[in-house]
Amino acid sequence: MGQLWIGLRRNRKAFIGLAIVLLILLVALAAPLLTEYNPAARTGRPHQPPSAEHILGTTRLGQDVWARLIYGAQTSLAVGFAAGLLITVVGTTLGIVAGYRGGKTDEVISFFTNMVLVVPNLPLLLVIASFVGQAGPMVIALILGLTSWAWGARVTRAETLSVKQRDFVKAAEMMGEPQWRIMAFEILPNVFSIVGINFIGSVIFAVITEATLEFLGLGDPNVISWGTMLYNAQKASALSVGAWWDILAPCLALALLGIGLSLLNFAVDEIANPRLRTGGRLARWTSLVKSGEGRL
Amino acid sequence: MPFLLRRILFYLAAFVAAATINFFLPRLMPGDPVALMFSSAASELPPESLEALKLTFGFVDGPLWKQYLTYLSSIFTGDLGVSVKYFPLPVTDLLGRALLWTVGLVGTATLVSFVLGSFLGMVAAWRRGSRLDVVLSVSAIFATSIPAVVTSLVALFVFGFTLGWFPTGYAHDPALDPSFSLAFFASVAHHAILPLITLCFVLTGGFTVTMRNNMINLLGQDYVVMARAKGLSDRRVMVWYAARNALLPTVSSLAIALGTVLGGSLVTEVVFNYPGLGNTLYQAILARDYPVIQGQLLVMTAAMLVSNFIVDVSYVLLDPRLKGSG
Amino acid sequence: MSDALLSVSNLTIDYIGAETDFRAVDDVSFDVAPGEVFGLAGESGCGKSTIAFAVSRLHAPPALIRKGSQIRLAGRDVLRLNRKDLADFRWREVAMVFQSAMNSLNPVLRIEEQFYDVLRTHTGCTRNEARARTAEMLKLVDIKPERMRDYPHQFSGGMRQRIVIAICLALDPKLVVMDEPTTALDVVVQREILQRIDELRRQRGFSVLFITHDLGLMVQFCDRIGVMLSGKMVEQGPSEAIFRAPQHDYTKRLWASFPSLKGGVLG
Repeated sequence: MGQLWIGLRRNRKAFIGLAIVLLILLVALAAPLLTEYNPAARTGRPHQPPSAEHILGTTRLGQDVWARLIYGAQTSLAVGFAAGLLITVVGTTLGIVAGYRGGKTDEVISFFTNMVLVVPNLPLLLVIASFVGQAGPMVIALILGLTSWAWGARVTRAETLSVKQRDFVKAAEMMGEPQWRIMAFEILPNVFSIVGINFIGSVIFAVITEATLEFLGLGDPNVISWGTMLYNAQKASALSVGAWWDILAPCLALALLGIGLSLLNFAVDEIANPRLRTGGRLARWTSLVKSGEGRL
Repeated sequence: MPFLLRRILFYLAAFVAAATINFFLPRLMPGDPVALMFSSAASELPPESLEALKLTFGFVDGPLWKQYLTYLSSIFTGDLGVSVKYFPLPVTDLLGRALLWTVGLVGTATLVSFVLGSFLGMVAAWRRGSRLDVVLSVSAIFATSIPAVVTSLVALFVFGFTLGWFPTGYAHDPALDPSFSLAFFASVAHHAILPLITLCFVLTGGFTVTMRNNMINLLGQDYVVMARAKGLSDRRVMVWYAARNALLPTVSSLAIALGTVLGGSLVTEVVFNYPGLGNTLYQAILARDYPVIQGQLLVMTAAMLVSNFIVDVSYVLLDPRLKGSG
Repeated sequence: MSDALLSVSNLTIDYIGAETDFRAVDDVSFDVAPGEVFGLAGESGCGKSTIAFAVSRLHAPPALIRKGSQIRLAGRDVLRLNRKDLADFRWREVAMVFQSAMNSLNPVLRIEEQFYDVLRTHTGCTRNEARARTAEMLKLVDIKPERMRDYPHQFSGGMRQRIVIAICLALDPKLVVMDEPTTALDVVVQREILQRIDELRRQRGFSVLFITHDLGLMVQFCDRIGVMLSGKMVEQGPSEAIFRAPQHDYTKRLWASFPSLKGGVLG
C-alpha cells in the first residue's frame, strides 16, 4: 500500500487525474458559495445564452445552468462513489471468498459471476429501474451496486488464486489462523491494487450509468444531477432549437470527470504492473544512446 | 466439441436467469403486480387482449411454480406479449424490426473498432515508451472515459447541427421507401455514419488499451525473444509472434465488452433518433410499456449470448490448443 | 587469442533507471574457440543471461551496452552491425536455446511454420525445400518428421526443447548459445538432451556458450568455464582446473556448497 502511494506521487497521470477529481469535488462542495441562484428555481427567461448574469445560460424553464451543474455534481459524485464502493465491496468479498475457499463455494460463485457477466447490464438496469418507477439517485446507486459487481469479482478471484499460493499465506494456515482472518489480513492487502482499479473503474461506470439511466428517463426528473440535466435538455430539444449550452455543459462535466477518474485508474494499473508504463522512464536511456555512451 | 457444448448449456442457463428476473421482478415490487404492469394497458386494450397478455406473463391462478412455468413456456414459444403503446403489434415483431437496425449498427461498429483498436494497441505495445505510444495510450484513455451519451450529443451538435454534414435523425430519408435500390442504400449509409463514428470512437479506445496491455505482457515471452533471435523481420515478429498471441486474451475480453457495446448503442440510438432497439426502448420507457421493456431484456440477452457464442467459436479457431481437446 | 570464434572483451552492460543505473555486466572478457563448449557459471542475477542476450544483440531498452565494449564473432564486429546485417547475422551465425522449454515455441504456429520462417528469411527457399530441411533436422533430434504439422502443445517439454535445438541447427550456425536449456526439464530428459547436443556438436563442429547455475552439469559438459559474481568474471579456465584448483574465494565456496560429484553424465 505504501508502495502504491509513492508510485502515485511520482506518476504524472495520477497527479493530473487526482487534480481533476479533487477540483470537481471542491466545486461541488462549495456550490452554495459559487452561485447565488437556486438550481431548481426559475431565475431568468427560458433558453438564454451564456451571459454575465447566467454564465452558462439558462434552461428551457429558465433555471441557471451553472447552478444546476455544480449542484448536480454533488449528486453525480455521491452516486458514483456510493455505488462504486458498494460494487467494490461486493465484488472483492465474493472474489476473495471464491478464490480462497475454492471447491464448491468457488464453483457456485463463479457460475453466478459468469452468468451476470453475460446478461447485458444496461438492459437489465432498465427493467429493474422501470419497475422501481422514478428512481432517486441513491436507489440507482443501490441497484448499480447489486448488479455490477461481476467484473470485479472475477479479477479479484484470479488475483486471489495466485496470492494464496504464496508462502506467507501457507505460513498463516500452518499457524491455524481462521479463514476469515487470512482472507482479511493476508489476502486483501495483497490484492489491493486490483481492488483500487476495481473501485475507480466502478465509480466511472456508476457515474456514466446513472447519467445514462436518467437520460433515458428512468430517474426522478426533479432531482438535480447531470443525468437529469441531459434528460430535460433532450426533452426540450435543446440542440435543434440551438440551446447548445443546455446540453454541452453537463456533457463536458461528465467527460471531465470521466477523464480524471480514468487517468487515476490507469495510473494505479501502471504502478501495479510497471511494464505497462508509458514514456518518461526512458529519457535517460535515450540521451545516453544519443551521446554515444552506449548502444543496444 | 465439448468446450463449445459447455458454453451453449451455460448460455441457456443465463437466458433462463434473465427470464427469471423478468418473472419475479414485478412480483417482488410492493403492490399488485398485475396492476403495476398493466395499468396503462387496462385503459387501452380490449379486455380479451388484456387477459391474453396476463396469461403470457404467467398471471394465472395457481401456485408460483405454475405461474413461472407458464411464463417460461410462453417465452420459449416466442410469445413476448403485445406492445401496449403500439397495440396490437406483438413485442417480438416490434423488437425484431428494431433489432435489425441495431445489429447492423453495433455489428459494424464492433468489427471496425476491434480491428482498428487491436491494430493501434499492437503498434503502441511494440513501440512502448515511445512518443507514439504515449499519444496513442493517452488518446485511448480519453476516448474510453467519455460516456457514450456525451460523445453522441457532442457529435450530433458539431457535425449534425452546426456543420450540417450529416442528417440529425432516422435511419434513412423518410421520403424513400425501403427497397433494394442504390439511392436507398446510400441514404442508409449516410444516416448511419454519425452514429457509427460515435460508437467506434467510444469502443476503439477500449480495444486499444486491452490489446496494448495484453501484448506488453507477452513481449518478454521466450518465443517472442526467440523470434527476434531468429533474425525475422520486425513485422513478422510483431504480427505473428506477439500480436497473434495477444489477440487471444483480447478476443475473450471482447465477449465482456459486448455488454458495454450494446449499452452504448442504446444511448446513441436515442440521441440520433435511430430506429433501433434503443429508441424503441426509450419510447417504451416513456409510455411505461412493460411488455416491451421486459421483452428487450430477453432480446438483448439473446443477442449477447449469440455474440458471445461467435466469440467462443472464433477463440477456438484462433487457439490451436483448444481444437480437439476439452 | 586471435583464432577465437567468439571474442568478448571489456563488455559492460547497464540497466538504465529513471535515476540510477544497475550494472549487470562489468568489464567482462572471454573467448570461445571453434568447436569448444564454454560455460558461464554463477547464481541467478549475476549477469550471465545478459551476456547471452548481448551476443545476439537482443537487448531492449533500458539495457545499454556501454561504449568500449566489444563482441567479435568469426572476425565480425557484432556491435557495429547495421539493421540489415544484424538480421542476417542472427541465427545464421549465432542460434539460441532459451531457458523455458515449454515456452520457446510460438503456441499458435505449426512446427513446420516455425522452421519455415527461419529458412525463408535466411535462405529464401521454397516451402517444399523448407519441408525437406525440416524433416532432416527433426530426424536429427529423433522426432518423427510427420509431426511437423503439429502444434507445440502436442509435444512434451523435452521434445519441445529438442525441436528448438533442431531449429537452432537448421542454418548450421557457428555458435549456439544455451541459456539454462534444461532447467525446466526433469533429470532424465536433461541428460538425454545434453548427450544429444554433445553428439551433434562433435558431428557438426559448432561451438556452445553454455549458461547454467548447475555446476555439476557445467563441469561435465564444458571444456572451459568462466565464473561470474555480480556482473564480474572472477575466474576462468579449463573445467578440470576450475573444479580441482579453484583460485577465487567465491568459486571455492560454490564448490563447497555443491554435493560431491559422481561419474560424468557424458561418460
